[in-house]
Amino acid sequence: MIKVFGGLLLRATVVLFGTAILTFALLWHAPGDPAQAIAMARFDALLTEDVIAQVREEVGLNMTFWQAFWAWLGPLLQLDFGNSSVTGRPVWADLQAAISYTFPLALVALGIGLAISIPLAQLATKRPGGWLDRFAVGVASLGNAIPAYWLGLILILIFAVQLAWLPALGASTPAHAVLPALTLGLGVAASLTRIIRSGILEARGQSFLPAVRRRGVSERAVGRDHIAPHAAVPVITVFGLELAFLLEGLVLVEVIFGRPGLGTFLVSAILARDFPQVQAVVVLTALIFVIVNLLIDLIYRVIDPRIGGHDA
Amino acid sequence: MMRSVVILVVGFVLFAGFGPLLAPYDPTAIDIPNRLSPPSAQFLLGTDALGRDILSRLLHGARWSLGLAFLISVISLIIGTAIGLLAALGGKTADWLAMRTTDTFLAFPELVAALVIAGLMGASTWSLIFALSVTGWMRYARVARGIGLSVQSRGYVVQARLAGLPGWSVARWHYLPSLIPSLTVVWTGMFARAILGISALGFLGFGIQPPNPEWGAMLLDARVHMRSTPLQMVWPGLAVVFCVLAINLTGDALRDALAKDGTHE
Repeated sequence: MIKVFGGLLLRATVVLFGTAILTFALLWHAPGDPAQAIAMARFDALLTEDVIAQVREEVGLNMTFWQAFWAWLGPLLQLDFGNSSVTGRPVWADLQAAISYTFPLALVALGIGLAISIPLAQLATKRPGGWLDRFAVGVASLGNAIPAYWLGLILILIFAVQLAWLPALGASTPAHAVLPALTLGLGVAASLTRIIRSGILEARGQSFLPAVRRRGVSERAVGRDHIAPHAAVPVITVFGLELAFLLEGLVLVEVIFGRPGLGTFLVSAILARDFPQVQAVVVLTALIFVIVNLLIDLIYRVIDPRIGGHDA
Repeated sequence: MMRSVVILVVGFVLFAGFGPLLAPYDPTAIDIPNRLSPPSAQFLLGTDALGRDILSRLLHGARWSLGLAFLISVISLIIGTAIGLLAALGGKTADWLAMRTTDTFLAFPELVAALVIAGLMGASTWSLIFALSVTGWMRYARVARGIGLSVQSRGYVVQARLAGLPGWSVARWHYLPSLIPSLTVVWTGMFARAILGISALGFLGFGIQPPNPEWGAMLLDARVHMRSTPLQMVWPGLAVVFCVLAINLTGDALRDALAKDGTHE
């Protein structure tokens, strides 16, 4: 077991290192002269060759690729993301502020998604193939095809513009979070419903269940002890994908609802060509992702010991 | 079972190919006196802020959205299959390298990575194609590797090798038939994702640039006029939902058929 965990850990480290190189290479090779962009953002009109050269020196743009990579990676390992090339402020401080908006929203959205998809899947599997089942699967398929940004806009149109029940733009009160959380939560619900549904159906088909029932175990206990845990396995498996889905949705939803979170931060950093900021967001998402996937791999092996050692 | 995919593709080709011919107006013709007009007999779905006919833009937009999504999903299919087969057949080191590369690319949420790439390269059609292709090949690689490994040890492949058939011939006659069904399922999923990706990047302003009619970019324009002409925002979204739903349902049907066949990995 320790060997397996060690292998997984090693793999995660290799992947993390790869993501760092990839991120850095991407920004290093991005077209345009970042020094010029930075100088323009900082000094507006005073754009002489001297100023640009000075900026280049200061931001470290005159190094070779590997020099610059190691100079960037060293501090990064201590969670020092450097300073914004535009404002000069530490990236980590701004990033933390952005995360404080994004993280609770993601959590609530995930909660909404589970709160809708679990009961819906249970209802659907009461009579597989019945009208309720077909309805649930149909709604989920439709939901999967609706892009988050469009759903967000339609919700704004209905609840903020037409009915004027909820605010649409900003993040100053909890009421501002309702529509964005709903937008993301509905998307999560759509993608989870079918997975939970087939999880339950598969769990019900386990060959030992008739024997358990004949021993007089109540239907309730069967559901709790034998069906629910088994149905949870595929949900845990797709959790990594779900997280990706959430992060992608968050970017768009934050932009639509004007929330100052990670997504808005990323988009404005790209537009300003603020490389340290962009790098920080990309590396951070990759880090979260690799850690979550590592945890999934581990949990997976703990709850289902049949899953074997090393499949690449 | 492949028939449903063929019907889908032919349907989309007709939609993208002939749809624009049905467009009543030039999709980029500016007509300021008729700006932001509601749906009427003259403009069936109304006009946008520059007086351009929305129906015409929607029909022409199909060419951008579906055509580019097709191109992107095929490019990533080729990259992914090549890397997957390299991993399966190229020996241990190649396998390790190829799979760690795949893991590394998978460590970024696709759309976030595509947004960063397209945004930094500068908004253009080429950077859009590059960004979405380079972030979309990983699933193909995993599936192709899995099938490659399982086919490799089958008797008929070993026989063919021993009989001295050239490598490309073994690949053509013994690997391809096993690869096609599963890769087609992955492809339908990635085709739908590409449509969503194109419109999402278009909506954020990093995709197809104006005045070209693209559904995501149309949504971006429409958003500003949400109060005066709310319906303008509905149409491009419906077009995306319709196409993605059609692809996903085809993909589901194909997957079910393959599961029954027992040939799906």
